[in-house]
Amino acid sequence: MRTSKWLWFALTALFWWGVWGFLAKVGSDRMNPRALQILFVVGMLPPLLLALAKVRFAVQTDRAGIVYGILNGVLATFGMLAFYAAMARGKASLVAPLTALFPLFTVVGAVLLLKEKLNRVQVLGLAMAVIAVVIFAR
Amino acid sequence: MFSGWLIPALVAALLWGIVGILQKLGSNRINASSLLAWVMAGYILALPLFWQGSGLSSLTQKDLFWGILAGAANGCGTWFLFAALERGANASVAVPLTALYPTVTVAFAYFILRERLAFLDWIGVALALSAGAMLSYEPEARSTAVGFGTET
Repeated sequence: MRTSKWLWFALTALFWWGVWGFLAKVGSDRMNPRALQILFVVGMLPPLLLALAKVRFAVQTDRAGIVYGILNGVLATFGMLAFYAAMARGKASLVAPLTALFPLFTVVGAVLLLKEKLNRVQVLGLAMAVIAVVIFAR
Repeated sequence: MFSGWLIPALVAALLWGIVGILQKLGSNRINASSLLAWVMAGYILALPLFWQGSGLSSLTQKDLFWGILAGAANGCGTWFLFAALERGANASVAVPLTALYPTVTVAFAYFILRERLAFLDWIGVALALSAGAMLSYEPEARSTAVGFGTET
């Protein structure tokens, strides 16, 4: 029972992120990336504040943690702008799967910078990701 | 070859990939909800950079609705991932599973936007979706994912 409950929540997360991809296309066809990013943040805040309210806004203040977190948000923002630009020019059914390959760069960076090791599933995933990019670029 | 959408899409993936590394580093220092709070701060701090030239004031109410709804959908996704991890979700299953989110986007694009793809593009989509999930697979993944663009 316990397993099925979290699985249901994970699947709901999957669903909402999928809807987000679709709405990003709808939004990108209507306005420029800057405007969409501003509205995006306005819409995103309430659910995230609810998530933080559940832990009573207990926020740790380790200095390096803060720097990584803020940099994380700023870089993700620039990623969003590029994502909206791609959505405005291409099909959502191609842009969403390609941009969802971002763990490719995380994994490669983790190997190069953090000296992490790839597992076999990731190696196979990496090869498949490269083939997918080649197909989209043809 | 490189059509108009491919380069910005790859740039987005690269930036979000770097975000994933920052998330790994950050989660070594603070817990997931704290990291989420600081990521939000980063999002808000970056906003003034885009105020100029956004053309926000010329948008219709409908435009505003769709834009805000996009953000809300993303935030809800993050909320549910958090809720899943809170309920003891195995992160090594939950995170790769949620990496399959573009399947929903592709379905909406197919049925609502009537997007049609060439056969080879469908192969590419299938490969990309599987690859995204496989790359996010870490057998001993910690419960540190803090949402879209920050999951690893």
